[in-house]
Amino acid sequence: MSDKLRAFSGQIVAVLIALAMGAVIIMLIDESPIKVFMTLMRGAFGDQAKIAGTLLQTTPILICGIAACIGLRGGMFNVGIEGQLFLGGFAAAWVGFAMPLPAGLHVVVAMAVAVIAGAAWVSIPAFFRVRYGTNEVVSTILSNYVAVLLTSYLTIFLFKRPGGWSETPPILATAYLPELFAFSRLNWGLIIGLVLALFVAWFFRHTAKGYSISMVGSAPKFAEYGGIDVKRQGFLVLLASGAVGGLAGGIETLGVHHRFMEGFAPGFGFDGLIAALLANGSPIGTIVTALFFGALRNGSLLLETDTNASREIITVIQALIILSVSAQVLMKRRGDSTAGERRWKF
Amino acid sequence: MEILSLFNVALIVATLRMTAPILLVALGGSFTTKAGIFNIGLEGQMLVGAFFAVLGSIWSGSALVGVACGVAAALVFALAFAVLVVSFRANEVVVGLALNILAGGMTISLMKAIFGTRGSIVGKGIVGLPKVQIPGARDLLGSWAPLINGFTPMVYVAFIAVPLLVVFYKRTRLGLYIRVVGEKPEAAEALGISITRVRYIASLLCGLLAGLAGAHLSLGYITMFTENMSSGRGFMAVAILIFSNGSPLKVLAGCLLFGFADAFSLRLQTFGFPSYLILAVPYLVALTALFALSYRSRPKIIRETLESMRKLLSVENKPAETGK
Repeated sequence: MSDKLRAFSGQIVAVLIALAMGAVIIMLIDESPIKVFMTLMRGAFGDQAKIAGTLLQTTPILICGIAACIGLRGGMFNVGIEGQLFLGGFAAAWVGFAMPLPAGLHVVVAMAVAVIAGAAWVSIPAFFRVRYGTNEVVSTILSNYVAVLLTSYLTIFLFKRPGGWSETPPILATAYLPELFAFSRLNWGLIIGLVLALFVAWFFRHTAKGYSISMVGSAPKFAEYGGIDVKRQGFLVLLASGAVGGLAGGIETLGVHHRFMEGFAPGFGFDGLIAALLANGSPIGTIVTALFFGALRNGSLLLETDTNASREIITVIQALIILSVSAQVLMKRRGDSTAGERRWKF
Repeated sequence: MEILSLFNVALIVATLRMTAPILLVALGGSFTTKAGIFNIGLEGQMLVGAFFAVLGSIWSGSALVGVACGVAAALVFALAFAVLVVSFRANEVVVGLALNILAGGMTISLMKAIFGTRGSIVGKGIVGLPKVQIPGARDLLGSWAPLINGFTPMVYVAFIAVPLLVVFYKRTRLGLYIRVVGEKPEAAEALGISITRVRYIASLLCGLLAGLAGAHLSLGYITMFTENMSSGRGFMAVAILIFSNGSPLKVLAGCLLFGFADAFSLRLQTFGFPSYLILAVPYLVALTALFALSYRSRPKIIRETLESMRKLLSVENKPAETGK
């Protein structure tokens, strides 16, 4: 337990170091760090609507983060969550506008199709990863670009809303994910995300399957000698991760935009991956880190109008956080020098 | 007949031109690949190279200073990568990805802070790289002259670097050190080679070429910087490095394939194919090559050894297994 506490304090120190470095960068571009941070706070938690907005941004980051957690736990780097998100978002929209179904059933079918789309999109890199050892980091990154272009093509050339530009027709009201409050677009997606995080955490902690996945992730050789079918399991891990990525896109479409648009959810996949890394692959921890990043993202909308800094400054801060966490992890571990073994351990 | 007109000297010239930036960055990555580092951070190094090249060019009014600035910025990123990965033994994928994200966010933030614009920097006195005119080329080759004439210097640097790197890895002490460190770190240690130092040098050499590649992107044939203008070329280079294993000639072959895919898809665009699908072609080529070649080079022996060991173990544990 104290070990866990120490790891947790390490993350906080890393965040503080990154924020300090971010402050220096903000000063370099001639802006006051205090003003920027206050603006971020105000933009994230200023009033009821702002808080709801923060939670709205948190939702996709959380679900993408869970997708990343599943992969990381199983020793798979799914960097293609962004692509799965786009595919899932498009698939859900397609079911939403092209397939009239009774209320209640419609939204469930749309989400299921989003899940399948995400899993299908990652299945090819996953197959080559487990069968021939093709590096999944590179193949999933490259497939992101294809996914974004493919969904844009489908949207603009095949399913364009008449009279609209680079968006599909709106989905039918039966496919809407219900909203939680009247004053915001915040919807049931957040609840789904939280339940999913709890479920995945329970799964890894209390089921035999979850244990064997973690074992493959942290010690693949040991797991292999222990009789686990590492390849089959690796494939299923990537598939599950992709499925959750697809779900994130489906929820974004059905709950927020009610249509698929070109560039509808930029960067959520990467934010989710970063949130999962910062949380050390823990789904519960990812709730906290996703909220943090969601607040940064929502707060950053005010930066553009109220300060000279651009909203991408938060991307810089996020990257710095991960860099300082990665350095920290190893500072703690310098004692046991397992040279050459440089995998991120969970 | 129209399709035939796709293939001509101009297409070859365009291929060579498109090959240059990815060849430069992939050759840079060959240093780290040979030294045993998986460097996914090429993309970010290229991007900061492109941005600071434009910045340097505007400030000084000289393309050369621009290139130097681009290279310097890429070297800083390469150094950060080396410090974290080599000295702190951080995970190379995590660090590489984080540096890429940092590069993306930083260039956009700086663009806003310095120029007050979003999207791209155009004009504003950016000085591009000159085109090299080789004297006598036109008389000698006639209509084939554009094949060797009129490229920006970076194109020549990229192609000349290939044989140089072959010699470097085969004949020079540093080249051998880099290979030993990558292939057999234990042997390197036994020989008294400092793994740390060699990997630092490899990372910095990589940054140097990635910076040149970035400078070529923004000061070469188009003199502008746009958000995320490296658009995945660094990742394609990593794909090439995986299936070429960093060998310069194979890198060249892979890069020519991409250059051709790029040039050809630009041609197709003029024939009215949907641009979104055409833009996806280079990524699809990268993925196909990655998958197809990993199919060929699967580590059969290792796999079979593992398989037989597993069988052996499962035979021994039979009673325990059936209980499950």
